[in-house]
Amino acid sequence: MSNLKVDNLRRNYGSVEALDGMSFDVAEGEFFCLLGPSSSGKTTTLRAIAGLEELAGGAVHFSGQDVTEAPVQGRGMSMIFQTFALYPHLSVEANLAHPLRRSGASSADVKKRVDEVSELLRVTHTLKRKPSTLSGGEQQRVAIGRAIVGRPKLLLLDEPLTNLDAKLRHEMRAEFKRLHRELGMTMLYATPDQLEALTMGERVGVIKDGKVVAIGAPRDLYQHPGDTYVAQMVGSPPINFLSATGSGDNQVELPFLGLPVAAPGVASGQSVTLGLRPHDISLAGGGSSRATRFPAKIHLTEPLGDVTVIDVTARETGMKMVLREEIAAKYNVGDDIEIAFDPEDLHVFDPSTGARLGNGATQKN
Amino acid sequence: MSETSASKGGFGAWALDPKRRGAMLVAPALIILFVMNIFPLLWSFGLSFFNYKASSPRVPSFRGLSNYERVLTDEKTWERFQTTAVIVGSSVLLQLIVGFLLALMFAKVFPMRRIVLMLVLTPMMLSFVSVGVFFKLFYEPTFGIVSYVMNIFMTDKFVMLGSPGGAIAGIVIADAWMWSPFVMLLVLAGLVSVPKYLYEAAEIDRASSWRIFWTITFPYIKSLLLLAILFRTIETFKLFDIVYIITEGGPGSSTETIAVFLYRNAFQFFQTSRSAALAYIVLFIVIVLTNLYLYAVNRREEEVT
Repeated sequence: MSNLKVDNLRRNYGSVEALDGMSFDVAEGEFFCLLGPSSSGKTTTLRAIAGLEELAGGAVHFSGQDVTEAPVQGRGMSMIFQTFALYPHLSVEANLAHPLRRSGASSADVKKRVDEVSELLRVTHTLKRKPSTLSGGEQQRVAIGRAIVGRPKLLLLDEPLTNLDAKLRHEMRAEFKRLHRELGMTMLYATPDQLEALTMGERVGVIKDGKVVAIGAPRDLYQHPGDTYVAQMVGSPPINFLSATGSGDNQVELPFLGLPVAAPGVASGQSVTLGLRPHDISLAGGGSSRATRFPAKIHLTEPLGDVTVIDVTARETGMKMVLREEIAAKYNVGDDIEIAFDPEDLHVFDPSTGARLGNGATQKN
Repeated sequence: MSETSASKGGFGAWALDPKRRGAMLVAPALIILFVMNIFPLLWSFGLSFFNYKASSPRVPSFRGLSNYERVLTDEKTWERFQTTAVIVGSSVLLQLIVGFLLALMFAKVFPMRRIVLMLVLTPMMLSFVSVGVFFKLFYEPTFGIVSYVMNIFMTDKFVMLGSPGGAIAGIVIADAWMWSPFVMLLVLAGLVSVPKYLYEAAEIDRASSWRIFWTITFPYIKSLLLLAILFRTIETFKLFDIVYIITEGGPGSSTETIAVFLYRNAFQFFQTSRSAALAYIVLFIVIVLTNLYLYAVNRREEEVT
């Protein structure tokens, strides 16, 4: 059953279309991520769902009701802002209690709920302090606490990890998953970071220019991106795009390969864009097929600790590949290496529309 | 240039020497400050211990604290303080209410906002004397606009300044008209300093507009309101010009504020030493108020950072 239904939202700032027919559904209890670059309309979408934006068109349905015109206060949703938006003049305790004050709850009840939430989020020791004296992670947890203390049916999260450092972000990702499991509330999470979307989202909606261009489980989006945009949004380091020409039915010719490789759905003479994940390129071993092994020169290395991202050039075509650190350590910039890939791992796209060709094309939503 | 003047010597070169150039530049201001402010202040402090009368050629004699004693035991002084307190209290209250409502109005964006805002601010920029003259004319029983309008509704002839209550109201209205924009500016500064996201967060928290005002808006303008109250209290406490022009303290002595009383004693009855003593008592009160004000300013700075 669909809990939240966002239907064809439109919003423009002057001549800029911030939302251009934004539509998606979120099921009850689902962790749904909106993934898109900055200014693609993520924040505007969340604000529109919460009722903070005036819409030029479209509708928001929530729990079976049309809430498009409902006041912010009456929607039964809560939101975590990118800037946390804690009340700076109130103590953490008062911040957490704020959403409860209205319902006429007794002060004992309020205290009980605040205690529960602060324990859940491990901020009990900060209750008497002002938000400005808290660390970023603590402020973040207080903001989450304030959002969930009123037991909203839907939690909107607007890039909540953007203002945190890498280590905290890692911890908080796990925290959000834990909270989602423990509280069972529907979560709609907007982020520009594909890692956050892939690790947390049960489903991910990829946004481009104010509308959703693909929806799917993280694994599907990674393995079968529906177009070049989704392919480069999902996956890190980003996918390599290679231009190629069909040299016969279902096969293509690459400038740095001597022999054509299989590419289903490609017609002879058709120019295509091939997508190849850096993880799918490896050093050529004895077993690799002659057809897909080729020499390349190491251009740049970026050691990440456990793995190293290597930029290579093969006949003036640049691409990225990933090697395990102990293997990469044997090579230096300027070295010539033999590398290979499995033609099965190629993603074939139409260069003009960006749409996926051949097998494995995910249904566009 | 300094070389040529140095070779010439003389006062110009001496004064422009880098060692004392800075001191020479501030000297005129310091001299004026001393001659016009500090010396008279100290001189009048001295006078307050003598029985000096500016209108009499007698050589004054030292009287110790007797002037202070007489001023403080004089019932008239306390009456004047009461009158001043009534005027200060009602005027500041009126300024706060009007200023606050104006600020709420100008916190929103509406067409012609800037022009209307400028018009609303004009009273503050007028001189006390012109405001006093305006209102004296408005209240004028035969051709004043206020009297004219009131006479439409009343059978008796309306004389605003005829009764003690009316006269006080007349002064309060004139003062509040002039200074409400000042309160508005301070409150407006507080209102616009509230980050918009706090309002949004409060809406998300399902707070009613009334609660949003008390938990979000009010804390932000609280200290500025306190500043406005203190600043206006200090200023209104010294109110002289408007009163002197509109009512000259009358009818009777019902609108005679402490400043007008002081002026009368000093320059109409020439009780110079006694007035000096009273002036020092007033100065003391103003200093106390000013320190409260500075304390409030510092607290506001701490809160904001």
